[in-house]
Amino acid sequence: MDQFINVTQQLFKGFGENCFIFAITLLLALPLGLIVSMGSMTKFKPLKWLTKTFVWIIRGTPLMLQLFVVFYIPPLVSNGSFSFPRMQAALIAFVINYAAYFSEIYRGGIESIPRGQYEAGQVLGMKKTQIFFKVVLMQVIKRITAPIGNEIITLVKDTSLASVIAIPEILMNAKDFSMEGLIWPLFYSALFFLAFCGILTLLFSFIEKKLDYYKG
Amino acid sequence: MKKLLAAFLTVAMAAVSLAGCGTEASDWDYIKNKGELVIGITYFEPMNYKGDDGELTGFETEFAQSVCEELGVKATFQKIDWDSKEVELNAKTIDCIWNGLTINDERKENMGISTPYMENKQVMVTKAENADKYTSAEAVKGATVVAEKKSAGEDVAKGNEFFKEANYVSVDSQAKALLEVKSGTADIAIIDYVMSIGTIANGTDYADLKVVEGQDFAKEQYGIAVRKSDTETLSKINEAIQAVADDGKLEEIADKYNLTDLLLVKAK
Repeated sequence: MDQFINVTQQLFKGFGENCFIFAITLLLALPLGLIVSMGSMTKFKPLKWLTKTFVWIIRGTPLMLQLFVVFYIPPLVSNGSFSFPRMQAALIAFVINYAAYFSEIYRGGIESIPRGQYEAGQVLGMKKTQIFFKVVLMQVIKRITAPIGNEIITLVKDTSLASVIAIPEILMNAKDFSMEGLIWPLFYSALFFLAFCGILTLLFSFIEKKLDYYKG
Repeated sequence: MKKLLAAFLTVAMAAVSLAGCGTEASDWDYIKNKGELVIGITYFEPMNYKGDDGELTGFETEFAQSVCEELGVKATFQKIDWDSKEVELNAKTIDCIWNGLTINDERKENMGISTPYMENKQVMVTKAENADKYTSAEAVKGATVVAEKKSAGEDVAKGNEFFKEANYVSVDSQAKALLEVKSGTADIAIIDYVMSIGTIANGTDYADLKVVEGQDFAKEQYGIAVRKSDTETLSKINEAIQAVADDGKLEEIADKYNLTDLLLVKAK
């Protein structure tokens, strides 16, 4: 029993790190993603080209590798005189990675709104910003809720990748127990993820219901 | 496009030349000025592990603390991913690796290695009911053997005549190798003897596994690894190891963890 309590405590401690990465990544990547999506939809060609390349690189390489790059490249190049703390490095990699994915979801949502609505707005004498915020935005939010929810649930599980730069998150703690001869904590850790994703799933179906006020 | 390429190359070259300088202080001064030796470890019993009170403990932990005391710096333990230990060392995110590191030619070439302080060997771990079975190359024929990739155990599994007719599978850690045997997906795990002391003892999930008696392979030695260029630090550490051995502290610590027989550094 003592052992069970000890393991649970250690896993909770590790899961705290996962939750921290999760929260900060969402907080920063959601708005950053919108900025990136604006960049990829702009009419200014160089910026558009640059943004598309950025999204291609970030989506085209493993997140695990990006964690390595952010944490190890600065000290390797500067001969140890500059490096991010481990947690900061993880957050930088996660925020950039998720902003790239979010940006494509935003872009899909924004481009799915028919041109006619913009034209109708113009005919009614609305300004461009008015059309975006008063007509388009709510429809976009409604349309992207499901794919964003999907991505957010993936993020919950991706946070355990931070263990590759030795952040003591839940899976790393669970693996330590297996080094001491305990196997079950590894599988027990799944419950933490399941519970967290379960709550998120309920939250998202609630949000979708709330947004179901008109067919869009 | 050409201009962009040129700009990129300029930045890259600036970065490289930046890397070239910054070697004013000697390697030992760098550590002394920080006031701490950052020691890269992973958790494994009985070397470095969390005790019942949640504090880090173990043979290597106490040994490293005594040596750092001798050196007059603080011992700071940083948990690392074992696969990234060389990168961590060169990125200066750690100053040494002190975690039952087996000395081999490849590591000697890439890192500075201290005096060997402990002996280790590879043993076969199998289900208790098979412990009497796997005593000859004939018996091992067709059995599935697992070991950690790039470990001394893998060298044994791949290179030793004894395992010539066995099927070898590599896994990413020694703990995983034990899990394979426990779950029946493999018959024999080749792991460190030192690791087997802590891991397959009574009261663990692996209590039904056993070391095959009388079959030792690849006697090896443990050393501490520092950056290849840190020659001054290395000699300081070697001196401190001898000092800790001379005043009997090293043997005292080894006694505590039942490792005295394996100790290589004796008091002069």
